[in-house]
Amino acid sequence: MSSFRTHRAQWIILAALALLFLLAAQGMSTRDWLVTVLRGLSVAAVTFLVASGFSIIFGLMDVLNLAHGALFMLGAYVGWTAYVRPDTVIDLATPVLLFLAGFALSPALTLGLSRIPARLRERRAFAWGLLAAALLVLYLALPHAPMAAWHPGEYTDSPIVWTQTFEAERVAELAQPAVAEVPAWLVWSGILLGGLLLAASLIAFNMQRRPPVAVASAALRRGLFLFLALLTVALLIYGFNTPLTAFMLSLSSNWLFLFAIVMAVITGVGLGGLMESTLIRPLYERALYQIMLTFGLAFIGTEIVRAVWGRSGFTMPKPELFAGRGEGCPATSIGGWLQHHCSTIVIEIAGEKARIRTYNELFLIVMGVLVLVVVWLILQRTRLGMIIRAGVQDSEMVEALGIDVRRVFTLVFALGVGLAALGGVLAAPATGLSDAMGAHVLLTALIALAIGGLTSYPGAAVGSLIVGLMQQFIIKYGQIGIQLPFMDEPFKPTPPLVPASTVLLMVVVLLLMPQGLFGRRE
Amino acid sequence: MTRLRPHISLLLLLLILALLPFLVGLLDGQSPASMLAGEAGRSKFIQGLMIEIFILAIYAVSYDLILGVAGILSFGHAMFFAVGAYATGILLKSAGWSLGPTLIAVVGLGLAQAILFGVVLARVSGITFALVTLGLAYVFDILIKTRELGEYTGGDVGLQGIPRPDFLNPSDERLRFYYLMLVFAALVYLLYRRFVDSPTGRVCIAARENEERARMLGFNTILFKFVALTMASISAALAGMAYALFQPIVSPEVAGLGFTVEGLLMVLMGGIGALSGPMLGAALFKFMDFYFNKWFGESASFMVGAIYVLIVLFLPYGLVGTWRMRRRDMLAGWEELLERWRKMMG
Amino acid sequence: MPAPILSLQSIHTFIGRFHILEGVSLDAPEGSITALLGRNGAGKTTTLKSILGLTPPSQGKILFNGEEIQGRRPYEIAALGIGYVPEHRAIFRDLSVYENLKIAERKKGDLERKADFIFGLFPDLKRLIHLSGANLSGGQQQMLAVARALVPDNELLLIDEPSEGLAPVIIEQMMEAIKALSAKTTVLLVEQNFLVASTLAEHYVIIEEGRTVKRGLMADLIHDEAAIHRYLGAA
Repeated sequence: MSSFRTHRAQWIILAALALLFLLAAQGMSTRDWLVTVLRGLSVAAVTFLVASGFSIIFGLMDVLNLAHGALFMLGAYVGWTAYVRPDTVIDLATPVLLFLAGFALSPALTLGLSRIPARLRERRAFAWGLLAAALLVLYLALPHAPMAAWHPGEYTDSPIVWTQTFEAERVAELAQPAVAEVPAWLVWSGILLGGLLLAASLIAFNMQRRPPVAVASAALRRGLFLFLALLTVALLIYGFNTPLTAFMLSLSSNWLFLFAIVMAVITGVGLGGLMESTLIRPLYERALYQIMLTFGLAFIGTEIVRAVWGRSGFTMPKPELFAGRGEGCPATSIGGWLQHHCSTIVIEIAGEKARIRTYNELFLIVMGVLVLVVVWLILQRTRLGMIIRAGVQDSEMVEALGIDVRRVFTLVFALGVGLAALGGVLAAPATGLSDAMGAHVLLTALIALAIGGLTSYPGAAVGSLIVGLMQQFIIKYGQIGIQLPFMDEPFKPTPPLVPASTVLLMVVVLLLMPQGLFGRRE
Repeated sequence: MTRLRPHISLLLLLLILALLPFLVGLLDGQSPASMLAGEAGRSKFIQGLMIEIFILAIYAVSYDLILGVAGILSFGHAMFFAVGAYATGILLKSAGWSLGPTLIAVVGLGLAQAILFGVVLARVSGITFALVTLGLAYVFDILIKTRELGEYTGGDVGLQGIPRPDFLNPSDERLRFYYLMLVFAALVYLLYRRFVDSPTGRVCIAARENEERARMLGFNTILFKFVALTMASISAALAGMAYALFQPIVSPEVAGLGFTVEGLLMVLMGGIGALSGPMLGAALFKFMDFYFNKWFGESASFMVGAIYVLIVLFLPYGLVGTWRMRRRDMLAGWEELLERWRKMMG
Repeated sequence: MPAPILSLQSIHTFIGRFHILEGVSLDAPEGSITALLGRNGAGKTTTLKSILGLTPPSQGKILFNGEEIQGRRPYEIAALGIGYVPEHRAIFRDLSVYENLKIAERKKGDLERKADFIFGLFPDLKRLIHLSGANLSGGQQQMLAVARALVPDNELLLIDEPSEGLAPVIIEQMMEAIKALSAKTTVLLVEQNFLVASTLAEHYVIIEEGRTVKRGLMADLIHDEAAIHRYLGAA
């Protein structure tokens, strides 16, 4: 029975792909066809980065994370910031690490709070008081953290643009000393204290619900070690701020792009873990509220992006490896690109020249395939993957085996959001940044998943592929027109019809096969 | 008398709302005659605000009937509203129909939508249904914004210049419009109440988690859901019609996902499943929207989002739902407080 | 009589608003099989789930090796050395037989250490080791479910309806296996089939409408036809 279902799914996919080939034969040249397929694959790769995390999260914990698109967007904006102004990341590292250091002391705080008489500790005002104190201290301290201020609108003055326009001498200007009206030690201790108080208030809130449990001494030691490590790193970064900034600014844009990717993924993983453990976890019993919560978070995420980076979008210059225009460009082969770092490769097909952008149509596709393979290997070959696959079916049984499912949930949520953030920063140089990119990618990913089957990993891949290809083919036909039966003039789909057609495909697929192509009937 | 008791608060509310335009007018020293003549003033402004609230309240309560009462997760509710609004606009303006046939057509379209969703519901349920409705609503949203239909729908700008019958002109005959909407909202509420309190309604609501059991008891849950869907669809379409008649322009925003989110927020704020709650939520939302835009400007939507999340986390049953659960405790608390004051006074 | 490894003292459990357990008490003496009996809906499965914390009890005490375990998270309770073979087996369909066993490891190498014992009890599983869980028959799934609970060093096994829906030949095989593993591990067994329960168990506990109504030695219950008839229906 199950084999029949998979076969049917494959037949439908084959039929859909065959249809695309058929359409391609209609008045589209081989060159146009190849370029369109490559563009479709590129869109599919980005969609897949969002859809895969989304589907694993939904499969494992039944959370329809509608904030996934907003987190994709946040990844893009954070990556963009790290890329065009790496000095900001260095400036921010000290306060962020100090803040986290407070949380690292959680085991010790738990121990300390459990010593406080229960009469005082169990009062609501106690926890709220701690929270208020934490927010007050942070409110006072944070604005004084020394940072080189800059306006996002002037990002074209970024070192990336300078190095590309050979104005490297201006880079030195950037390492301006940060302004500090308040002694730095005071600010730093304030932020550290704020983190500590915030952690304490969260623990106090928890203790009201569950009586305190004994803290293992190993956890205590680990917490203390982590605290000291974070403290040391934070202060070291502060101490070496100027040389570090100079170093970052001297890096080539390739390295900075790698740095941007790392920062975006770290942000995504951190935000994901935080979101799951604080906001989603209390709502596991109430699925409807969970959907509404993530819906609201998507909204807030967009507003945060608007508040921090403004409403106007940005472009993100491509790293040098994919930006060359000078001698030897456009390249005629992959070897030529590697030699000259061209932005495009031009090859000849059937007498026509096809322009292939190295970033959009090669790098993104390669990254998509890479993630596809790596995540698949994790799912199939590691213990974590085994637990995920088992948990998708029955997480209660997994817990009954003695596995801390909740921790796995947090980890998977964090990694899933990390994938979305990775998708964001990878997509940014190709598509630019805007406050609508989150909602757009979420919708595309949802369509892909609905077609492929919400909880199926191969389904996410195939769905993304179908949506990406379909979108690009329709856009192409919007330019050249398509000869439809019963119509005299070639029909040119207008741009809004692109999303509409994929949505319609989703509706049709869901009505014919409610579980999607690869989904399993529960 | 005993049969009237549960309705007393409702009657009282209706009375206050019926007198509200005059009360506001009197406070501003406006004579009743000038108000009847529809002259500008604060009373007229308040009437306008209240009309918008009544329309939103019908929209919200119809969403609640689907979400909270029938237990169907749908993300396409904005379409229900927008179909009514656009149909009214197009029929009155482009087709040149008069109000009566348009009304019948809007009801018919509401029914058609309910049948469409009902067919979908018979095939898929749960999250999949939510996605299909999201998709259908999105397609509709795109269609009305396309260039090809711009001649009729006004595209991105919105549908303007809808001819309105004189006796319902929102500017000259605002007071009449106000009372019409008040009666309409009250009727929708009473009708829904009746439906929810019917024997079938009670069983189907109680058995939402366990449909099998309700079906075994001989109650047709599918039919119940379909009737709920039909009622919600028709009343939302009629609310859309009122919107088209009242507003100078039918904005394409009412077809967008954002409007569905706003409906969700109204339902959540008031209390999901408590019919009066979402209507209250609609009023709160309108005020919130109005004042936040005034106070916070650009960050208003951030505040709305934050409130939304806080409600989901800390007030999951909304204002009315929480009130119903805690009524006894709260009243006891008040009495204790009054008692203490009385002691302090003497 | 040896000391009980597990002891429930007047457990109350709610599922939603429903008061399912209204005072279940039982002891599972170490090194023996205790049968938990009762009619459909008496709360047998909920009792097992309450022990594991899957449906946490709201009142009462659960002692495991003399330690109070109620209120802890299920994974913590399981990690103390309690294995669970749930009703309907809950085999992971997308995992192979090998992975179904491997996932139950609590320490690295558990499966390799126990392989001989497990495959000695269930030789069929060795043959099916690379098959996916979805392709197993009901009997094979039941064997795998029991085998999965044997992978880590469990001191107590909670087994729910091992004979349900199985062919008589397989039931016999299963009974032999449970008998054999009970030499090393204490077992708390929920079983509808009184014949199976009475053959296997030394002790019994009967619950009715969420309360313990009778407990003692199986050898005595077998001769008490009035009690069997009253609490369990036809024997």
